[in-house]
Amino acid sequence: MSYSVFNTKKYIDVVKYRWIWFALSFILLFPGIVAMVISMMQYPTHTPLRVGIDFTGGTIIQYSVEQNIPPEKVTDIRNKLVEQNVDSPVIQVLKPSSSDNENAIKYILSIKTKFAEDNQTDEIDKISGIISSDYPEAQIVQTNSVGPVLGKQLFVNSMIAVTLALLGIVIYLTLRFHFEFAISAFLALFHDVLFVVGVFSILGLTAGVQIDSLFVTAILTVLGFSVHDTIVVFDRIRENLKFYSKKASYDDIVNASVNQTLARSINTSLTTLFTLGALYLFGGVTTRDFVLVMILGIAIGTYSSIFFASTIVALWNDIKKAKKSKSQSEGV
Amino acid sequence: MKNKIILFWIIVILAIAAIVTVKCLPTRLGLDLKGGSRILLEAQTTETISKITQDMMDSLKATLDRRINPNGVSEITIQQVEDKRLLIEIPKDSDLKEVRRKLSEIAELEFKKPILDDNDNIVGWESSGLTGKDLNKAEVGTDNAGRWLIHLNFNDQGARKFAKLTREFKGYPIAIYFNGEVMSEPVVQNEITGGLAQITGEFTHEKAKEDVDLLNAGALPVPAKILEENAVSPTLGVDSLHKSFVAGFIGLGFVMLFMIFWYRLPGLIADMALVIYSLLTFAVFKITGVTLTLAGIAGFILSIGMAVDANILIFERTKEELKSGRTLFTAINSGFDRAFTSIFDSNMSTIITCAILYFLGSNIVKGFALTLAIGVIVSMFSAITVTKNFMHLMFGTGQLKHPALFGLKESDINDAYQAAETQREKAKFGVLD
Repeated sequence: MSYSVFNTKKYIDVVKYRWIWFALSFILLFPGIVAMVISMMQYPTHTPLRVGIDFTGGTIIQYSVEQNIPPEKVTDIRNKLVEQNVDSPVIQVLKPSSSDNENAIKYILSIKTKFAEDNQTDEIDKISGIISSDYPEAQIVQTNSVGPVLGKQLFVNSMIAVTLALLGIVIYLTLRFHFEFAISAFLALFHDVLFVVGVFSILGLTAGVQIDSLFVTAILTVLGFSVHDTIVVFDRIRENLKFYSKKASYDDIVNASVNQTLARSINTSLTTLFTLGALYLFGGVTTRDFVLVMILGIAIGTYSSIFFASTIVALWNDIKKAKKSKSQSEGV
Repeated sequence: MKNKIILFWIIVILAIAAIVTVKCLPTRLGLDLKGGSRILLEAQTTETISKITQDMMDSLKATLDRRINPNGVSEITIQQVEDKRLLIEIPKDSDLKEVRRKLSEIAELEFKKPILDDNDNIVGWESSGLTGKDLNKAEVGTDNAGRWLIHLNFNDQGARKFAKLTREFKGYPIAIYFNGEVMSEPVVQNEITGGLAQITGEFTHEKAKEDVDLLNAGALPVPAKILEENAVSPTLGVDSLHKSFVAGFIGLGFVMLFMIFWYRLPGLIADMALVIYSLLTFAVFKITGVTLTLAGIAGFILSIGMAVDANILIFERTKEELKSGRTLFTAINSGFDRAFTSIFDSNMSTIITCAILYFLGSNIVKGFALTLAIGVIVSMFSAITVTKNFMHLMFGTGQLKHPALFGLKESDINDAYQAAETQREKAKFGVLD
């Protein structure tokens, strides 16, 4: 095999088994897509994800409490709130990661309700009154109110940001590489984002996880990282094409490039996952979902840069070659 | 080699400068890390005001500033964001509730005259043209019985209007409206020419004081609505900051151990470069006045990942070059050169996303984009300059005597030298493969 040109010992033939990778991608993506469709049918917002107050508008008040609040107590609080005309309250108890610090917050009671257009102060006072009757030690640690106007605007802005980021990346790759690389990278990006969004769609359905504006940031970071990964492989393909295009077949060059960059791809992801893992386990509770998006994104981004993006490039080339030979044979 | 030594000292000086900067300049922490509140207001159009102009925004901002900050001592800041929005940032020890109330009052003072029917009965009220704009000053006072009241002192124009009003409606009541509600309905006894008036009512001292502040600050030129409000208690802020630091250190520690484990001596060099990188990045944060938020810290930690990536790319490449039989000096150099295109292209794509995030994102997103972009730019410098310099100084020139330092096997290198040897021989005899 002409692969020997590249003198590498460990070797995965990514191009040959491409249909296995495509099938694997499908298995990874499918449950998420199903969840998105279910979500769109189920949620009143008709969105593939459970969107939080950042997008829909609303108020979240968080209290620090000393002890855990059991589910029956939560129901009790909810009933009391509804009695006092608090609009559709959603109650959650969060457990921040443990800390040696004595003053650290033990549990967080989070209450979500509609945005009180006119009388924010009274609404918050009313809810605080109800909470402190049961939990006199409860202290407000965070309130967050977003008006519906702003929510809608944020949603539109986020969509524009994601679209522009994708466009910017495709243009940059077209300039620095070839259009086919840009399209392959784009497909890989789409693949990665779809996976992460899918997982959060599932989490939204099963665990009530809501997305906020940080989610969009995290997704954009995943875009950045995924393309970062893909570019490293493409850069190697570009370089190898320059030196070996006469000696080796296109598929071999793609294979060799993937294998040459394999150690780097895995090591980089590992180191980044170390820092993210530490953030997830020991960091604040407020950024946990944000970090989870990045962990998932970086894991899938590494997978896609090895098994997806490069095989698409090879596939693209095969199709191009097939077309060429077809048109040649027709010409004869 | 002399240049390398000079560069080394420049790096040392930079690192010391960075330490001094980090020590001396204060860290600007975001509200989510130090506690505090943020309110986003939007000026609203009304039936009479169809367009919000910049003048209106300036006057709105000035009025709110006078209200919240009557003595000019509080740390509350108001800044305009976008065309018709104001962002108000309130430090942790301020009473958010009170601020919120002060913001939402329009504080429009208006004297209304009665509309009389043919039998001199009052059927309604209409504007008299005398408003809060004609006011010179308001003060809290007491009447003879010790009840709280508000003294109004009109300017010349206001005094004339008030004199005319009291002359015209002598013996009739006039109504004083504040915020659209009747505050009092005194009956005019005499024409008042001195430009002084009183508002009596069931005032508590606090209420009188608050109204006086509002009156003195003036009415809002346009109504403003709260769009978004965020408050973080200092406890949660400190907690988050503490946890992010712990997480950052643990993460960094793991990365450093991994690098040494996998890349050996170069890994150790990369770790040193990483420490310098962190110092430099922090120094840049402080010099450029980046406000550190939770999302910002996440951006910084992610940029550590990317800084490590540059080193990994270079080392993998250098190892390959060593395996293909190059001497140390050339292997390191070509390892850097060949890794550079991929480092550059991949970092550029990150910077493109950061730029887009910065210009389109909300405040939180902006902080993240800025720290990540700064981190990525500094990482290119640290990977290419610092790591390369340390590598050259540490390994020098010649052939790699101890492949284990690179995590390579003895046989990898020897095979390579053999391969290179035969290639050279082949080339000598004109045999090309």
